[in-house]
Amino acid sequence: MNVVECKGLAKHQGSVKALDDLSFTIKEDTITGLIGRNGAGKTTLLKILAGYWYESSGEVRVFDEHPFNSLTVSANTILIDDQMSFSNSLTLQELLQEASNFYMNWDMELAQRLFSYFNFDSKQIHENLSKGKKSTFNIIIGLAAKCALTIFDEPTTGMDAAVRKDFYRALLKDYLAHPRTIIISSHHLDEVEDLLEDVLLINEGKRYLHLSIDDLKEYAIGLRGKSAIVRQWLNDKEVIHSQSIGTDRSYVVVKNDFDHDRATRLGIEVSPVSPSDLSVYLTNQKQGGIDDVFSKREFR
Amino acid sequence: MLNTEGSKPIYIQISEWIETEILNGNFKEDDKVYSQYKLAEMFTINPATAAKGLNLLYEENILYNKRGLGKFVSSNAKEIITDKRKNQKLKGLIQEVVLESERLNVSDDELIEMIKTLMEERKGELK
Amino acid sequence: MMSLVNVNLGNVVKKQYLFKLRSYVGVFTSLVVLQLIALLFSLGGTGGGGGGSGNFHVMINYYSGDVVIIFTILWVFINGILITTKAYREDDFSFVTNRLTNNLSNILFLLTASLVGGVTAIASGILLKVIRYFFFNAEPIITTFSISTIEIIYGVLATILYVFLFGSLGYLVGSLVQLYKKLAIILPVAFFGILFALASRDIMLVEGVGEFYFKETSFLLFTVKVITTSGILLIVSLTISNRQEVRL
Repeated sequence: MNVVECKGLAKHQGSVKALDDLSFTIKEDTITGLIGRNGAGKTTLLKILAGYWYESSGEVRVFDEHPFNSLTVSANTILIDDQMSFSNSLTLQELLQEASNFYMNWDMELAQRLFSYFNFDSKQIHENLSKGKKSTFNIIIGLAAKCALTIFDEPTTGMDAAVRKDFYRALLKDYLAHPRTIIISSHHLDEVEDLLEDVLLINEGKRYLHLSIDDLKEYAIGLRGKSAIVRQWLNDKEVIHSQSIGTDRSYVVVKNDFDHDRATRLGIEVSPVSPSDLSVYLTNQKQGGIDDVFSKREFR
Repeated sequence: MLNTEGSKPIYIQISEWIETEILNGNFKEDDKVYSQYKLAEMFTINPATAAKGLNLLYEENILYNKRGLGKFVSSNAKEIITDKRKNQKLKGLIQEVVLESERLNVSDDELIEMIKTLMEERKGELK
Repeated sequence: MMSLVNVNLGNVVKKQYLFKLRSYVGVFTSLVVLQLIALLFSLGGTGGGGGGSGNFHVMINYYSGDVVIIFTILWVFINGILITTKAYREDDFSFVTNRLTNNLSNILFLLTASLVGGVTAIASGILLKVIRYFFFNAEPIITTFSISTIEIIYGVLATILYVFLFGSLGYLVGSLVQLYKKLAIILPVAFFGILFALASRDIMLVEGVGEFYFKETSFLLFTVKVITTSGILLIVSLTISNRQEVRL
């Protein structure tokens, strides 16, 4: 069964097309990483899925319902982001209590364990928490709510490395115990990639790639060697990224659809490309990168 | 234990980890190996990735399936693993030799001659 | 797969409503403060006059709870606006809701606030007279203190209805402003503009509207008028906020 289905989904905000003809489906009980550059439309997409925003055109289904104003979607979906707001007149502990009234699958034991593990004070007010602490509290809500569709939009904002690691581990353990559909968007793809089953890469509001993380890891390959040899080798290949190293050597990323041994035999160094680097290369608007901005300058 | 920086895909690292456990005798013939969920929990990886690693070993006949019970170590698992590793390692070494001789402008015949001489010497020593 | 949770509208509205009673405590503390201030104002008398000839001097002072009621109406109007604002709305959307349940629970909350506001306003009116009677050395010549229970009940009911009417009006104003932010400036300007424009032509808008509601002598008719008007205001609010996006 598909938990999420989008067909030709578009969202216009003024003259900006935040989403543009986006189509994809998400299978139940998978962890999907939503990847893309800033402004690619990740947050817009997630807010439409959670029923917060409505689409301009196209079709969106969550649990086979139109999410905007659907109570079923609201009761079975939770979107954790740094915009979550909670009443100032309730303490953190009272907020957990309120959440347990609303979410039928709420796991109070897990919530309380995480609450004390992360050293929260019951009497604190959400608004007075630091950025990292707010994010940490929000993910407690997100995990304990046990919603069939759990969405994290940049959940680790402001968290230090140790807490981020704890969160990823908590998320995985809870997922193993209670499989559900999870979508997570993150700038730290290298940190979350091991947790993911699938990756949805969007660029300028469109689907760019949707494949398993293992396929993404093998999607492309990096070639390093003498520019002349590399260039000769490239003739029929799809170049994803290229940059020169020093005077006569090049690093080129191409689609991984050939026998590496032949390249190695030519003296070309073959290396895997990390998914996070690859998604940057794939979504660079133009060929080249920051270096081309400075191309007019030459240092001697 | 896993190299997440990513020279190798995680599922391959998982299968290699299990292979090593088998070679070290931690999993014996007809032992049940860890489930995808146990592996996922141990290494903080997605269970689908762990399953892919297990399937790789199943396809290579290192593991066999018992319906509904999980995956078990085949009787000739150790042999398959050692054979495989021999092949991979040797192939890699030879590749390096070939490349280096290219860089040093050593001709094919010269290289084969060198290997032959070396083998002869070893035989002499062993006698 | 986690089995899907089934929810129904009534249940969610109830949960949202109870959540609001717990989390909007500030609304009620502000009521207490306002009514106390109103009481202080009223202690000096809400209106009066005097006159005399020679050694004979007459002072007339009216002591009533009107100021308290006016303050309560202002309070409910402002809070009607307040609960439509981003901060309050987004608190709801952190939990289970849609726009309909959000509005319905807000309306229930407004009703509750009107109930509390109406009862306390009348109670403070009575309290005011008691204070004057016992603590201030002023002998009332005529006292309307001995009103019948049935009059008090009518008084309370009428006040609740007034308060709810203005709460609904506030809610509509708030919903309109949320829809189109510039209305926060346009609405007051337009209101006073029309008021003065009409007044300059001897058309008294406030008086006319006031007469329609406040001079109604039949209590039943008055109730029907107020409930119908509130209903219309709320349905309009509900309709215009049904496409409102959250967490913008």
